[in-house]
Amino acid sequence: MTETTTPATTRLWTNEGFRDDDWAHAETVDALAGNSRVILPLAAFLALDDETRSRLGDRIGVHVMPGEALDALVPHLGTVALVSLAFPAFSDGRSYSKAQLLRERHGYEGVVRASGDVLIDQIPLMLRTGFSEFEVSNETALARLGQGRVGGIDFHYQPAATQEPGGPAYSWRRVATV
Amino acid sequence: MYRYDEFDHGFVKARVDEFRDQVERRLAGEITEDQFKPLRLMNGVYLQLHAYMLRVAIPYGTLNARQMRMLAHIARAYDKGYGHFTTRQNIQYNWPALSDIPAILDDLASVEMHALQTSGNCIRNVTADHFAGAAADEVADPRPYAEILRQWSSVHPEFSYLPRKFKIAVTGAERDRAAIQVHDIGLHLKKNEAGELGFAVYVGGGQGRTPMIAKKIRDFLPERDLLAYATAILRVYNLNGRRDNKYKARIKILVHETGTEELTAWVEKEFEALKDGELTLPSADVRAIEAYFAPPALPSRPEGENAVRQARLDNRGFDAWLKRNVTTHRHPDYAAVTISLKGTGEAPGDASDAQMEAVADIAEQFAFDEIRVSHEQNLILPHVARADLKTVYDQLVAQGLETANAGLITDIIACPGLDYCALANARSISVAQDISQRFASQERQEEIGELKLKISGCINACGHHHVGHIGILGVEKKGTELYQVTLGGSGDEHTSIGEIIGRGFTAEEITDAIETVVDTYLAWRNGPDETFLEAYRRLGAAPFKQALYGDEAKAA
Repeated sequence: MTETTTPATTRLWTNEGFRDDDWAHAETVDALAGNSRVILPLAAFLALDDETRSRLGDRIGVHVMPGEALDALVPHLGTVALVSLAFPAFSDGRSYSKAQLLRERHGYEGVVRASGDVLIDQIPLMLRTGFSEFEVSNETALARLGQGRVGGIDFHYQPAATQEPGGPAYSWRRVATV
Repeated sequence: MYRYDEFDHGFVKARVDEFRDQVERRLAGEITEDQFKPLRLMNGVYLQLHAYMLRVAIPYGTLNARQMRMLAHIARAYDKGYGHFTTRQNIQYNWPALSDIPAILDDLASVEMHALQTSGNCIRNVTADHFAGAAADEVADPRPYAEILRQWSSVHPEFSYLPRKFKIAVTGAERDRAAIQVHDIGLHLKKNEAGELGFAVYVGGGQGRTPMIAKKIRDFLPERDLLAYATAILRVYNLNGRRDNKYKARIKILVHETGTEELTAWVEKEFEALKDGELTLPSADVRAIEAYFAPPALPSRPEGENAVRQARLDNRGFDAWLKRNVTTHRHPDYAAVTISLKGTGEAPGDASDAQMEAVADIAEQFAFDEIRVSHEQNLILPHVARADLKTVYDQLVAQGLETANAGLITDIIACPGLDYCALANARSISVAQDISQRFASQERQEEIGELKLKISGCINACGHHHVGHIGILGVEKKGTELYQVTLGGSGDEHTSIGEIIGRGFTAEEITDAIETVVDTYLAWRNGPDETFLEAYRRLGAAPFKQALYGDEAKAA
């Protein structure tokens, strides 16, 4: 039995398929050049002064680690174009709750991106909790997404961030929208 | 009992298909064991000492004859002819081949069963009082709520990668037979002054290496808020539970380190935001689920009393069984029967395919097609006419299932231990077997009275030793198995954690030590009405220490 290895290439996938990524992760705004867009660590984003933040507008996104609370980011959500939630390991589930909170509690309508250890079996759960973009480098995930095989189960026993029609019989059920 | 509708069937089929694909990818090497592990665990598949183990969910321990026959079929076709009923009211098979597991899951799906969330860091199979719907002392049947929680928690997108496993138990009576205070969430279904149904909510109980009794964080949660409140607790836990150390990752540690007051404030704040949202349970939905659990129509069978009176005079075995294994039913002509899976010298909780089929037959003929699995690893027939008790007893005798020891010292809970489990440090089954043989005499057991003895083969405490009146914990010391004894634990409405009594005993010594503890109790008790637990709570550890260790105890 061979173990898979993760190749270096990372591609950006959304529900509409793969597309070019016009964002880059960076430590500071110094990386900004031309019309480029950067995703800053939460602390770096919060350290910017208001003037810089409003001048750069939708050219900055924010990367939030699982251990970082959303609270400090919430007042800025109206002007942030992208929130990247980290999965340092696919088994760390904190970012699911944060995606859910961004969408449902805070009404965030920008991009919520999954970054890190993004595997095919978790993408359906991420989609339901409100993730809209995925940085994918796992070989199986790349292959399957390329074939349009996202996977997942169409019968849902609970509401989630994604607005879905109610399922039969009981208030808590939902069915996937195709 | 609950019946699947098309939605449930569609869901389980899709889940099996998904897992079949994951197994194929694993076998093809497309997915690493690390990546596969949480996926297989959430589908009930463990990698054990000798083989894969499949744990099948029996939601809140309720099943019918058809389902029990399927469990027998799986034992025969894919395993070695037996299965092991567990403390989470589930059944596990110790020898299936990984490649057979999708086929087993198909078989299970054909009888509305699955192996979902019987393992992994997710919300596990929800448990409930095994006498639910039959108990004379219950306010309402807890199972409709357990079923709603089962549905809501199934493949929950937000709560599938929790810091650690998460267990919920529901009881509908003051007398807690579901051990709710040693669960991550314990729900006590009750009525408020207005007569409305709701729950006392306990959080942060658990066993394992750091046993803790749950804290009550809500005295009355209205029924309609059940899912919103559960979501609030789970979200607080998912975001804040420790992930740096798997031994400190359960919600009990979060409650302990945060403080009950502070944690309650977090939960209530989150609940305020969720309240009256789309998770609110409409009463009509609860009533619709409840209708599935409507008790069978129990025709009047007043001839039962005479039949029983006569038969018990003629048959001492039947008399003993009536005393121990037959429980008062809310209907005077009926009883709830405990089928002990603790025959003398047998592995606690094990049942053969033939035994499972016999129980299915009896349930169909005499018990309205209902069977329960208790967390004490026995089977229950919740509704049997007293007039049929003797016939049921005779059929159990034919299968060696008539052991009259429910609640007695040989009604032992034991984990699989080192004979099967990859985590274990010591054998559990052989210790249970030894003790069972030592105390086999019915008269002696009756004299000792109610005594819950529980054995775990390692600190993970799957055998619930912390809440045993007598608990035995297997540890490994310098390459040999050693058994620590705890006394005074209890898993009911007065939950307590047992105290370690002193140095451990070897496998050869442990049964003698238990006998010493029991003899000490018999010598010191205030008559036969004072149970072991009551006597221990009155006396404390001293007389037991003295009896076990003598002057060594004083020196230490």
